[in-house]
Amino acid sequence: MLIKGLLKTGLIAGIMMTSALAHAQTVGPNGETATPSAEITLSDAEFASLKEKGLKAALLWHTSSDFINAVSAGATDEFAKAGVSIAVTTDAGFDAARQRSDIETALTAEPDVILALPLDPVTSAAAFREAVANDTKLVFLSNLPSDYKHGSDYAAIVTDDLFQMGKQAADALAKDIGEKGKVGWIFHDATYYVTNQRDNAFKTTIEKDYPGIEIVAEQGITDPARAEELASAMLLQHPDLDGIYVTWAEPADGVLAALRASGNKHTKIVTLDLSEPVALDMVRGGNVTAIVADKAYELGRAMAATGLKALLGEETPAFIVAPALTVEKANVLDGWKESLNREAPESVIKTLN
Amino acid sequence: MSSQKPVLSLKDIQKHFGAVTAIENFSLDIHPGEIVALVGDNGAGKSTLIKIISGVYAPSSGTITIEDETVSMASAEIARSHGIEVVYQDLALADQQSVYMNMFLGREITNRFGLLDRKTMIAETQKLVDELDVRIPSPHATIRDLSGGQRQGVAIARATRWAKKVILLDEPTAALGVAETAKVEEIVESLKARNIGVLIISHSLDQVFRLADRICVLRRGQQIGIRETAKTDKNEIIGMITGLQQQDAA
Amino acid sequence: MSGPQSGAAQKPAAIRFALGLNLQQYVVYFGFLAIFLFFAITLGDNGFLSVRNLSNIVLQTAPATILAIGLVFVLTAGEIDLSFGSIVAMSALAAAVVMNEYGMTAGILAGMATGIVAGALNGAVVAFVRLPSFLVTLATMGLFAGIARSMTNLRSIPVLDLDFAGFFGSGSFLGIPSLIWWTVMAVAIGHFIYRETRFGAHVMATGDNPRAASVSGIKVARIRLYVLTLSGGLAGLAGLLYAGRLQAAKYTLGESDLMTVIAAVIVGGTLLHGGKGTIIGALIGSLMMGMLNNGLILMGLSVSDQMIVRGLIILAAVAVSLREKAR
Repeated sequence: MLIKGLLKTGLIAGIMMTSALAHAQTVGPNGETATPSAEITLSDAEFASLKEKGLKAALLWHTSSDFINAVSAGATDEFAKAGVSIAVTTDAGFDAARQRSDIETALTAEPDVILALPLDPVTSAAAFREAVANDTKLVFLSNLPSDYKHGSDYAAIVTDDLFQMGKQAADALAKDIGEKGKVGWIFHDATYYVTNQRDNAFKTTIEKDYPGIEIVAEQGITDPARAEELASAMLLQHPDLDGIYVTWAEPADGVLAALRASGNKHTKIVTLDLSEPVALDMVRGGNVTAIVADKAYELGRAMAATGLKALLGEETPAFIVAPALTVEKANVLDGWKESLNREAPESVIKTLN
Repeated sequence: MSSQKPVLSLKDIQKHFGAVTAIENFSLDIHPGEIVALVGDNGAGKSTLIKIISGVYAPSSGTITIEDETVSMASAEIARSHGIEVVYQDLALADQQSVYMNMFLGREITNRFGLLDRKTMIAETQKLVDELDVRIPSPHATIRDLSGGQRQGVAIARATRWAKKVILLDEPTAALGVAETAKVEEIVESLKARNIGVLIISHSLDQVFRLADRICVLRRGQQIGIRETAKTDKNEIIGMITGLQQQDAA
Repeated sequence: MSGPQSGAAQKPAAIRFALGLNLQQYVVYFGFLAIFLFFAITLGDNGFLSVRNLSNIVLQTAPATILAIGLVFVLTAGEIDLSFGSIVAMSALAAAVVMNEYGMTAGILAGMATGIVAGALNGAVVAFVRLPSFLVTLATMGLFAGIARSMTNLRSIPVLDLDFAGFFGSGSFLGIPSLIWWTVMAVAIGHFIYRETRFGAHVMATGDNPRAASVSGIKVARIRLYVLTLSGGLAGLAGLLYAGRLQAAKYTLGESDLMTVIAAVIVGGTLLHGGKGTIIGALIGSLMMGMLNNGLILMGLSVSDQMIVRGLIILAAVAVSLREKAR
């Protein structure tokens, strides 16, 4: 479950952000500034000009998940507009050797463009070389193989705006508690790029932008199953907490359980990544005030659009980010659709009606 | 027969397990080409005795002599190296393997490159099963595909292949039907011609009287006596087994 | 009297025996052929039959095939090794780290030694402490995976030595990719040892009937030690091949091979409970797994559908080959 929660955005070790200490935005591996994904669009004429060619695409993922399904859907829909068929879809199951085999097999189908999440920069460097040599257009999700050059080797990297996710969580919590009070910060206590960046962005934003809010309790977590006891201890020491940030949705379940057990209706929760139980608490008017999600479908669309632009011979920006999305009770149905490209869970819809 | 030197001679064998005495003062000579039966009730000590002769247990005291040489049977391997082979009650065959590989189990013949010499092993197996009239489809046949009688035949043939002195048979027909029993008995009979001493454990007195030259009776670890088959009858043997007849004077 | 009678009895039985053996051994070949033909017909236009794709299948399955050889010995001896995947990761990392510091030869030795020592540890506990190999290797699977993770603190290590990468991975000799050479050599030597040496015969006897083997003078404890050490050593070799192929080592290498390799070996015709196996069958089984992966991807199936179809085919293959044997 930890893996499912964390790795949905992949192992983003290759992408550097400016240090979380310096308040800033997401930047690319070589310091490239981020281009918003919304800027990557094709005109109808461009779609039409590709349509005749019978082009093929391959989607080479690292795992199967809700998130990847939404990315695939976004890419497939965008490709369909240009008549590009998905020849091959693979799931390497986080296995670097398997990813290498998947690439070789996919190349047999002679795709014109590959969308892929390289498992990690080191092991994927040799693996994707064959695709580069074949002159297949490469659009990477989140990770970049070591020493790959923009333009000649790959078209672009597309990723979540990790910094924005943490920042928007801070903004949402601050708004709800009136920009003043005491909050707790439950962070992922492991060297893990995705969660570290998001967690630190929350903390930095609170410290810099909201002088009225003080982080009075910090608690690291590695095992989501222990979230309830850790949160109980935190609430025992700080019964007057106005809000708690939880690093991702699964431990947020445990924190909610601790709040319910102590009859606490005052403390507000923000967390990251959509999840049914957390969303249900939110729409029921419980402790959860907002969930910040990434726009997976948009991520996929932008990847496909970038690939199409590369096939047209256009310049593509090296580093593209898809925006984060703050989901609150008011926009939960649209938010679900926008993030994961599917309807919100039935329980959430029923509760709303 | 008794004019010949015994091939195996047990003298004053005792075996204790802690305070328990399993075998008390057992002495027996087995001559080449002779079949001796070992009979007694369950728990009389027959299996212990077989294990002593085959080297699995060391006797607490007493001597084992093979053709004038006093030997210590510290292990089953040493017993085998002295030419003693055992056919176990549960056969000790490897079911998935062929007849010929079982025949040479643990003692496979290799050629000068150290590789399995299947040709020789197959030929020897064929020759032996023909001589003993063990009717198996082929030396290649898998043990699993054979009947109980055929398996017992293979087990005895294997013992015959390797035994230079003595074969111990532990209930060789316990699990077999009438016809198969007769066949196995035929094979056991034929061992006499090979000048090998045979010690057979059997529950069937009929079988003992059919096969054995002499009968040795054990009761509760004690050697009750030895009778020549020709000079005794079932009633006497049953009396010895059940304790109605007392021990011979030592 | 033995001549005519036994001769007469021999004939039908010999035929039955020949047929039985053949059917049992051919299941994997028929399955392989059927799947190959199916893909050749349906995917002929999609490059399935291209030399490059077919050679890719062999290259991709090379580490699994080598692991399968070890597993045939282990299963035949009546044991199991669940830890080889973790040994692959440890060996690959050891080789990469040492190589970057002390050169290629030292790296190769470090990788192989890691595999052999880990296998010997499994073997020693099974043989001399007399614990079931299932439990021992279940424990060491986690132990070795933990060691692999801590060795480099989860970091991936690049392999900088291009000679090594060529020798174990992407290179070729006499126009044939080195991974194919490794596969052919390992299968040939493995098959030879399994079929033609006393060691092979003793491994079979040990797994078939340990008591019979033991009373026949076979040192069954030693056999158990040897097969598990062999499996560890081959996992070490597989680790080197992965490191060469990816030009990098990572703690996840080998993690997902366990089920593929077990399936390849069983489909190939090795008994799960010991006594009988086949190295050639394991090779065919491994190639069949690789071909399935390859063909199902090329068919353009979604990932979930690929898993479903692959699962069903493996189930069918195992059912057929096991039923044939249980006859």
